[in-house]
Amino acid sequence: MVVGELTTNCDVAVVGGGPGGYVAALRCAQLGLETVLIEKSQLGGVCTNEGCIPSKALIHAAGIAYESVHSENLGIVSKTKIDFRKMQKWKDDVVLGLRNGIAGLCKGYGVDVVKGRAFFTSSNKLTVETDHGPADYEFKNAIIATGSVPIALQGLEYDHKLIIDSSDALALKELPKELIVVGAGYIGIEMAILFAKLGSKVTIVYRGERILKQLEPELGMEVQKKFDSLGIKLFLNSNITEWKGKGKKAYAIVKGKEKTVRILFDKLLVAVGHEPFTKELGLEKTKVRLDEKGFIKVDTQRRTTDPGIFAIGDVAGAPMLAHKAFREGKVAAEVIAGKKSAFDNIVVPMVVYCDPELASTGLGEDEARKSGYTVKVARFPLSASGKARTMDTKAGFVKLVADANNGVILGAHVAAPNASELISELSLAIEMGAQLEDVAATIHPHPSLSESVMEAAEDGLGKTVHIYKQKPAQ
Amino acid sequence: MTTDFKFPDVGEGIHEGKIVKWLVKEGDVVKSDQPLVEVETDKAVVELPSPAAGKILKISHKEGETVKVGEVLVSIGGEGEKATAVSPIAPSIVSKIVEAVKGPAVPSLEKPKRVLAAPATRGFARELGVNIETIKGTGPTGRVTPEDVKNAASRRVVSREGAPIAIKEEKVVVSTETGETRIPLSGLRKIIADRMSYSKSHIPDAVGMDLVNVTRLVAAREREKANAEKSGAHLTYLPFIVKAVVIGLKKYPKFNAHFDEEKQEIVLKPRFNVSIAVDTPDGLMAPVIKDADRKSIIDIAKEIVELAELSRTRKIKLEDMQGGTFTITNVGSVGSMFSVPIINPPQVAIMGVHRIKDMPVVVDGKIKIGKVMGISLAFDHRVADGAEATLFMNEIMKHLEEPELLLIEMI
Repeated sequence: MVVGELTTNCDVAVVGGGPGGYVAALRCAQLGLETVLIEKSQLGGVCTNEGCIPSKALIHAAGIAYESVHSENLGIVSKTKIDFRKMQKWKDDVVLGLRNGIAGLCKGYGVDVVKGRAFFTSSNKLTVETDHGPADYEFKNAIIATGSVPIALQGLEYDHKLIIDSSDALALKELPKELIVVGAGYIGIEMAILFAKLGSKVTIVYRGERILKQLEPELGMEVQKKFDSLGIKLFLNSNITEWKGKGKKAYAIVKGKEKTVRILFDKLLVAVGHEPFTKELGLEKTKVRLDEKGFIKVDTQRRTTDPGIFAIGDVAGAPMLAHKAFREGKVAAEVIAGKKSAFDNIVVPMVVYCDPELASTGLGEDEARKSGYTVKVARFPLSASGKARTMDTKAGFVKLVADANNGVILGAHVAAPNASELISELSLAIEMGAQLEDVAATIHPHPSLSESVMEAAEDGLGKTVHIYKQKPAQ
Repeated sequence: MTTDFKFPDVGEGIHEGKIVKWLVKEGDVVKSDQPLVEVETDKAVVELPSPAAGKILKISHKEGETVKVGEVLVSIGGEGEKATAVSPIAPSIVSKIVEAVKGPAVPSLEKPKRVLAAPATRGFARELGVNIETIKGTGPTGRVTPEDVKNAASRRVVSREGAPIAIKEEKVVVSTETGETRIPLSGLRKIIADRMSYSKSHIPDAVGMDLVNVTRLVAAREREKANAEKSGAHLTYLPFIVKAVVIGLKKYPKFNAHFDEEKQEIVLKPRFNVSIAVDTPDGLMAPVIKDADRKSIIDIAKEIVELAELSRTRKIKLEDMQGGTFTITNVGSVGSMFSVPIINPPQVAIMGVHRIKDMPVVVDGKIKIGKVMGISLAFDHRVADGAEATLFMNEIMKHLEEPELLLIEMI
């Protein structure tokens, strides 16, 4: 390519090759649009390379390691040795395989992948700084999918050695001996449990009152119950007021409401959330505008205030989850291709890959009340599930939130092994406008954890037979 | 010559905008259509071009300020280039905003509210361009079904503001081997079919019929015909009937109403807009005599002729087809004694009037030959009951039998 002189024309320029961006690009290409996908680092973005995928791989491995030495009552006695470098190598192979898969798909569908940093120069032009110099593109439509970056904390600025972010944590070459996790959102909790299961001594420091505050309180509690056995120390309503250290050893002063303690660490992971990445994109050269929280303003078609430019994924609003970006990417691509698509989803499910897994979709109990519903809450504990017993667990439950007037399901909250898989039935139920009766009257396989979903719906109707209640319903 | 460029009203719910950036400064000389300013509305950021050539005399709103529709944005004076007197708002500006606003075709940046409907049904509604939030679902717990969406779409074709009125006809006639001729429903015929199906399947209608002795009305019309002709009006019986109906509607307002299916409310209408069913070569159309209570019989006569002609030539404007509160269908010119008219939703009643015939009538205990007309009133039984409907009919009949009473009711 002749660089710096030539302007390449395309139908769609997608900025950012993460889950939202690459899916949007593939869908655009499927629909016959000439598509350029610009990624400054690696295809797959944070999700594939430094986030969802590597963390789930390590969480899976750590789970096996942990269970292998905690299954004596099942007659499994083992001395497990963890080769962390090998584990990391395996994880890297998983990531590489998926990343190559994305590259293969782009090639197959004819998406032109350009490596470099893109910035807009007008509402229909952008420049990409590539390794070979700048390249100009003129587009009919653009899709901004630049994602988000970890928020830095004042006083705990990332040096990526001692003070690390989640990407650093997943790329560690050696297991930390003493890990402090600042923040108790889903990333913080996942990381804390992951490293605890691999043998690190983990301390969570969080300024708020309860962990996983975006979920129903019972969900956080279900996980917190397990902290003692995992050796995780939890400091709520606490802050790190100072830290000192060099090389591999350091300590932090953790100040709580009542006491102040000194905690040693060799890694301190800051996981206090992400912020949309909109800097240095040249958005001021376009008519794209941000909202008060820094997200790009979009409508239900994911069109920005600049009619030719769309935005999807983390940069276009909360929740910052890859599966939301997937759907938005497809919507934006279809709208650009002239289809009447819209992001009209009622629910975006959320999963925390901890122990037990947590998954949530739709409205919480309080949230539903605040929205004006008369709420009916239905529950089923896993302690009453045959399948859970066969998996040597009693921890967990299914909680359903329904409209008391008509039984329409409004929300579902699950703590259970594979909650990430159980939740989709309930997301579908909500999208379809299903009632408790619909779920209760559907035969679920036995024995399975999914039976608990059916049982919870039956509880809502006063019909479950697997929990003894004094006064059975009609 | 100074041109004050005001922030234009483009409809679309835009009342104000925020000045994002001035592209010119005071003292600059600008060409016509040169971009002046970027304004951000709820829906888009729009670049507004200059309506005139000249010098920027005064910028009235700073960057970051909010400008309301009608407020002056900038004053442009006729210096430098020759000043041209132009309207403060060049059409190109309005169209630019409208385009920018309409372009995304999505009403708001807000999260759509929850509608009980399957994702595929929601997609189907988008495909047909129906706002699913306005549909009352017939499924369990009010779930909107694909059928509901289809019904809403067919209703909307004629009722939605801004919908095209000139519908392309596709008169494809297919002769098959069996000798059958198949005429696909299209254009107006399709709309009529959809609306009639909707009405018949959704509205529990009841029909009342009666005979009216219109001997005196016939005489009155004969008497006034020539006078009306002088003032340019072709006087039929219909204007008298319209007047008599309006009097009845005033006394029984439930029949001058719409039925709001979604809210399950009867909406009594303050205006008396009488739809007149007009037979056209393509099918039935129903132009509206607006405010019939405030118009004279002669005026109504003139208007009927005009609207009927516009309907037949398909030149009628959409607004002349909208806002009807009651319909009269005149079958009289063709024949028949009675009929069962189909209500034109969201209206709640329709009256058919029929051919005037010589028939025996009893006057003061004696049989005489009188002029007699059949009338048929179909009404929505959800809204009113039979007794009320009969009283309403009686009121109309009284004024048709004694047309002099119409005079008394006149303003």
